Amino acid sequence: MSPVALRDNPKRELWLAWGATVFFYNLYAVVFFVFTHIQPPGQPWYSPDQARTWFSHHHDGLLIGLALIFVFGGLSATSIALITYSIRRMSVSRAFSYSYLIIYSVSAVPGFLFICVALTAGAMRPDRSPQLQHWLYQLGFLSFSGTMGVFLIGSLVWMTAILLDRNGVFPKWFGYLNLCNALTEVVVSPSWIFKTGVFPWNGLIAWWIDVFVFGIYTGVFITLLRGFIIREDFGTGPLPPAPHWRFWATEPAEAGS
Amino acid sequence: MTTQQAATPTAPPARHVPGQPDMWFFVLFESLIFTAYLGVYLYYRAQHQQAFLQAQSHLTLWLGVVDTIVLLTSSWSIARCVEQARAGRYDVARRDAYITAAFGVIFLVLKVVEWTRQIHLGNTFSSSDFFQYFFFLTAIHFVHLLIGFVALGILVRQLSDVKLRSQELVETCATYWHTVDFLWVLIFAVLYVAR
Amino acid sequence: MERLNKRLLAVWAILTAITAGYLWIDHSAVHGGRAQASTVVTVLAIGLATLKVRIIMREFMEVRRAPRLLCRLTDVWVVLMAATMIGLYIAGRILAR
Repeated sequence: MSPVALRDNPKRELWLAWGATVFFYNLYAVVFFVFTHIQPPGQPWYSPDQARTWFSHHHDGLLIGLALIFVFGGLSATSIALITYSIRRMSVSRAFSYSYLIIYSVSAVPGFLFICVALTAGAMRPDRSPQLQHWLYQLGFLSFSGTMGVFLIGSLVWMTAILLDRNGVFPKWFGYLNLCNALTEVVVSPSWIFKTGVFPWNGLIAWWIDVFVFGIYTGVFITLLRGFIIREDFGTGPLPPAPHWRFWATEPAEAGS
Repeated sequence: MTTQQAATPTAPPARHVPGQPDMWFFVLFESLIFTAYLGVYLYYRAQHQQAFLQAQSHLTLWLGVVDTIVLLTSSWSIARCVEQARAGRYDVARRDAYITAAFGVIFLVLKVVEWTRQIHLGNTFSSSDFFQYFFFLTAIHFVHLLIGFVALGILVRQLSDVKLRSQELVETCATYWHTVDFLWVLIFAVLYVAR
Repeated sequence: MERLNKRLLAVWAILTAITAGYLWIDHSAVHGGRAQASTVVTVLAIGLATLKVRIIMREFMEVRRAPRLLCRLTDVWVVLMAATMIGLYIAGRILAR
């Protein structure tokens, strides 16, 4: 069976969403890590004057990078939508997919948008008082790290759905990877207490190890979502098995190939 | 080997992965994460020896030893449980599972008692570097143990319901429980003994 | 079944004995009533712990009856964990000077 023309392909919306997801996460990585240098985060122990200096050093990167996020950030919805769709394809109750959708949509506000707004506001008025700049600096970074709790519940919802699922939408090991991800997000909570050591918002344990695991987790689920779209048969029963792995494949492998 | 298998028909099949292979992925991945946490602790400790030694002296080593033996015993009882389930003796297996849970509860109680004692001594999460690590490592392990009770619950349900009784799921839950045990073995050695 | 039960009990006894052995290690490392930093004690503690982990994996977690890939993988993991912890400790000692 030759690949169906793009116009008639019933999976085209799914591929569009997947492409947008890949674009969004790459944009997020480039903007946060390279353009703006928001990640790794600034030092938590900065004084108001140091925070003000941080804003002036990062001024241009912050404004340009975060402007891009404000334009394209809505694409993060495609990732959430695709995962929600995949959970709906499972044999479990739809309550799981709705819970995931709500949790991740809500958590994106404090866990993603707050830092963008706070740091943009800080960068836009460099002549503001250092105390106000300091407040914006702390609000940004604390909201980004400290609200992990909402995300981790979302991971647990996804994990439970995967482990209960009889349609084989995702492999069980990915369900357990959700648990690993959730547990590394638990350890971010001390960032509310500490400014130095391994537990502040840029600490070795609270940030570096957590982001390392999160990076693996994100790469894995983007890859698995691709495999899911390839296997999707728009039914309600178990999905066909995974195809032979070809980077450019968009359809399940033919029998005997 | 074959005559032994004929004489003991309950001997397990040759060379099978205990439980879901997926759970082994979790075991190995989580072990690396804990190794990273313990490694970070050891690295920082090596650079602040005196402060850490002074704080560590507040710990009660024999309590840590008792904690470890309690969890080792729970591992032993769940290993027996898996064997009994494999042999079809589900009632005995369930009893072993309850024994495992009981030892798990003993560990939880001992932990809470130890935390309370340390807090009364003035050692809290933010009072010193050593106790920052102590409370963090024991607390994250505590969370893993709580999840272990969920695994035990699933295991007991499997054993209780005639329609279920998936040996693979029983082994999977046992594998998780053993992981909680061996993670504590590492934490105990590094927190209580290493200096 | 009886043999397996006895084996499990023997394993438990060995693990418990090693655990109790930590009391002796700790006692012998105390000089003049005050604990001292000791690389030997640390390395020994970690080494024994990873040995216990290997025993738990092989006996309690039934790795010795698992496919050889899992046997080798868990052995590699145990060595990796020991090497990482000991390595970071020694690196910390060296950099502290």
